[in-house]
Amino acid sequence: MIKTITKITLVSLFLTSCVAIKEYEKININDPDMKLSERDLDKYKSTFQSYREAAAGANGGKTGGGCGCN
Amino acid sequence: MIHKNIPFFCIIFFLVSLSGIAQEDTTEPKEYKKRVLETMEVNLLSSYYTQDGENAAVTGGRGTEELSDIAPSINVAIPLNDDDVLSIDATISAYTSASSSNINPFDGDQVADPFVASTGASGGDTWFGLTANYSHSSEDRNTVISGNISFANEYDYTSFGFGGSLTKLFNQKNTEFQIKANLFFDTWGPQYPIEFRDGFNLNDYSFTGNANYSGNYKDFENKGRNSYSLGLSLSQILSKSIQTIFMADMVVQDGLLSTPHQRVYFADIEDTTIENFILGNDIERLPDSRMKLAVGNRTNFYLNQNFILRTYYRYYTDDWGINSHTFKLELPVKIGLNYTLYPMYRYYTQTQADYFGEFNMLLSTQEFYTSDYDLATYNAHQYGLGFKFYDPLNKFKIGNFGLKSINVEYNYYQRVNQNFDAHITSVGFNFVGD
Repeated sequence: MIKTITKITLVSLFLTSCVAIKEYEKININDPDMKLSERDLDKYKSTFQSYREAAAGANGGKTGGGCGCN
Repeated sequence: MIHKNIPFFCIIFFLVSLSGIAQEDTTEPKEYKKRVLETMEVNLLSSYYTQDGENAAVTGGRGTEELSDIAPSINVAIPLNDDDVLSIDATISAYTSASSSNINPFDGDQVADPFVASTGASGGDTWFGLTANYSHSSEDRNTVISGNISFANEYDYTSFGFGGSLTKLFNQKNTEFQIKANLFFDTWGPQYPIEFRDGFNLNDYSFTGNANYSGNYKDFENKGRNSYSLGLSLSQILSKSIQTIFMADMVVQDGLLSTPHQRVYFADIEDTTIENFILGNDIERLPDSRMKLAVGNRTNFYLNQNFILRTYYRYYTDDWGINSHTFKLELPVKIGLNYTLYPMYRYYTQTQADYFGEFNMLLSTQEFYTSDYDLATYNAHQYGLGFKFYDPLNKFKIGNFGLKSINVEYNYYQRVNQNFDAHITSVGFNFVGD
């Protein structure tokens, strides 16, 4: 699985290495719903998930520590 | 005709030349630099969470998991100058928990029973968390350095943390790389189940079963828990309408990773029962180290002016034998200029920890054991609906702050192969300073 993800990553980077969208072309990319981070309210869901689920991390948020959760 | 206009052109040329000289004489014009954050922003957030289930870890994997929690939060982002931003986040989480109340099931008026909440003092608690983050952006906005400190406290758990990150943007800000590290130094104030505490005498109760009851229990010597995390992320704009981010987090933990108030019951030891409550044979014992690795991807597609598709996938593995996959889809639908409705769906699956055993199935000869069903094999579905209102003109005001957006969400979470479900409703108000 990790190998597959690595391959996809490398291929994606290779395919896009020449892409350079200009600032004035980023109207769609700059839409608030296009943000690559979590929404503000997602912190509540991430918190209960970090208590109720074994997995954490790789979501731009908390990775463990700071609570009596996993 | 041309000859007649020569003096006119000469005058124009002379004036333009003068203006050029005049510009050269002055200092270089200052390049416009946009502030990282124009004005102070305040986020007021709150959530109400409820859950119920039948596999409470406090009572060894069999018992009520009923819990409710309300968590107001305030987040303030303050621009200190053009380049620096200080943000402070404070959250209070007040909860009541039926399973926590059964740390001592004998201190209320009710019959002691793992499916009945005790009315004693351990049924509720308040968690408080405070995080401060300082970030500095370079002149060209291609480098961001940040540092953070955090503190959290509840009755039996205290945490101090700090960390930092470095972000570099390349390729006309089409590519972004971030490395971050965080350290948490936490301390348990263990609240052991009542039958393991000094002063508990079986003969004070009317009981059935094993008259020679004695827990396998011994106190934890090390009550600290340290977490060290390292995270990497790489984001890339793929086209005018698609962008993606790859994320990887590695976490190493050591210290007391067991939860001291979670009981286990052994299959090879006869039960001792008071009223409807079986006394624990021990508390959970888990290794004192754990290494976790998570890799994820989020890719967002701007389909058209009405629809956006947000996708997320994560693979997780750790050295306790747990492997997990998480998929999430979100479809924001624009309704006019100011409203967005976003249905979402999340699927989660995990395999169980090597040390997990169901209620009364573990053996006293094992080195490590837990009946915490959060570490069992299960699949879960989560369905949600969110609504966001944007007011670009900030017409509604409170003092010097204008309302920028309101966000409301509801999510329902359900495990497929366990009788567990949860509801979470959250709301957020985003204000910006004048």
